[in-house]
Amino acid sequence: MNLAAYRKKSPWILHYNAGGCNGCDIEILACLSPKYDIERFGMINTGNPKQSDILLVTGPVTKRSRERLVEIYAQMPEPKVVISCGACASTGGVFRGMYNCEGGIDQFIPVDVYVCGCGTRPEQIIDGVVQALAILEKKTKALEEPVQLKRAAKQEEGQLNRRELADDIKPLLT
Amino acid sequence: MNDYLIPVLLIVLAPVIGGLVYGFERIVKARMQRRIGPPLLQPFYDFLKLADKRQMMVHSTHAFLGIMHFVSLWFALAVLLLGGDLILVIFLHLLSTALLILAGYSTRSIFSHLGANRMAISVLAYEPVLIIIAVSIFMINGSFDTALVFAGNEPLLYKMPLAFIALLLVLPIKLKKSPFDVAEAHQEITGGVELEFSGLFFEAVYTAKWLDYIFCYTLVFLFAGSNILLGLGLMAFTFLYLNALDNSSARVNYKQMLRFSLGVAFTLAFINLIINSLL
Repeated sequence: MNLAAYRKKSPWILHYNAGGCNGCDIEILACLSPKYDIERFGMINTGNPKQSDILLVTGPVTKRSRERLVEIYAQMPEPKVVISCGACASTGGVFRGMYNCEGGIDQFIPVDVYVCGCGTRPEQIIDGVVQALAILEKKTKALEEPVQLKRAAKQEEGQLNRRELADDIKPLLT
Repeated sequence: MNDYLIPVLLIVLAPVIGGLVYGFERIVKARMQRRIGPPLLQPFYDFLKLADKRQMMVHSTHAFLGIMHFVSLWFALAVLLLGGDLILVIFLHLLSTALLILAGYSTRSIFSHLGANRMAISVLAYEPVLIIIAVSIFMINGSFDTALVFAGNEPLLYKMPLAFIALLLVLPIKLKKSPFDVAEAHQEITGGVELEFSGLFFEAVYTAKWLDYIFCYTLVFLFAGSNILLGLGLMAFTFLYLNALDNSSARVNYKQMLRFSLGVAFTLAFINLIINSLL
């Protein structure tokens, strides 16, 4: 039995806002509403990385959210795909170059599908997810790793210090 | 031989029937919101997809407790359908829930702990009501055996209508439906105890939910005795009632849930018990 064929029949979505203006998030929620009803394709908005297949990221990566983004990505079991939703998540958008902003999410995690627009339309999001499903079907269960932030968290005075995770890439950003 | 054929078939096919009930429920819920909804076999697609994910385990005890939750729930359902002791069935169900609560406490995730706490509280909310209902059945039949209930000529519904209402009030807590879904609370604590399960091990917890449907609808069926038509009617009514309630109400917090279930449902069941023991 070819189990990979069932991946596209029940994609469970994890939605993460890395620091955007909530415009794209509202559009994602609109996809769940009666007009677009993405549940008819078997999609659920789970909110739990350990049980989801698609990571839907909106908003530019801020300095606060980068470790969380990478951690959420690492917690998802393979096969998984990442959709960067909106101009900010893809390139940084209007926030690009600001002091608190790192730019697009593809600097930190591998992105499979870019969805354009500010904010993205529900039709575009559904189209992006359908394209992501075609990619998901071809993926293997091999381990996928985030591209950056590979430094491990340090044990320090009884607690984990995650503040220096991104130190390796600091020269690239300035 | 023939007496056992239907219960054994029901027990063996319980996960499949439960999955179909869950799939149908998702369609009904979507239609209530004027959506189209997923296909009927959607739970089985989810099942097959989850089997294909990379295995991730928090630790072996956690995964084992999740699987034992499924096994013990199936066992409780088997005892119920084969006409065993009702008190035994209720405590076996409690055991399976306790295993899941233990699994929730065994990880380090705070959401998992929070879910386990809330689940323990919801057990506190529905368990006394179920036990009072079982004692009421004992008062009428003189025995806890469900075989006698299934064979009874006069449906229990006519003898103890208040107990049926009490059961209807606590079923949303047991099935984790709104407004009493604090234990699961998908938007709030992202699933509670099932948070740390993934892949094959989540499947055990996911399928146990389908078994829970069969368990609860069998409890409803008990009130019809040997009158199968009335039993099917009661099950259909409960199904529509649960989904309408789930769609139309918001989540209450655990204190309100506890107050309602011990204040209203427990009182109703207790009044019913007193009436039954006086008559």
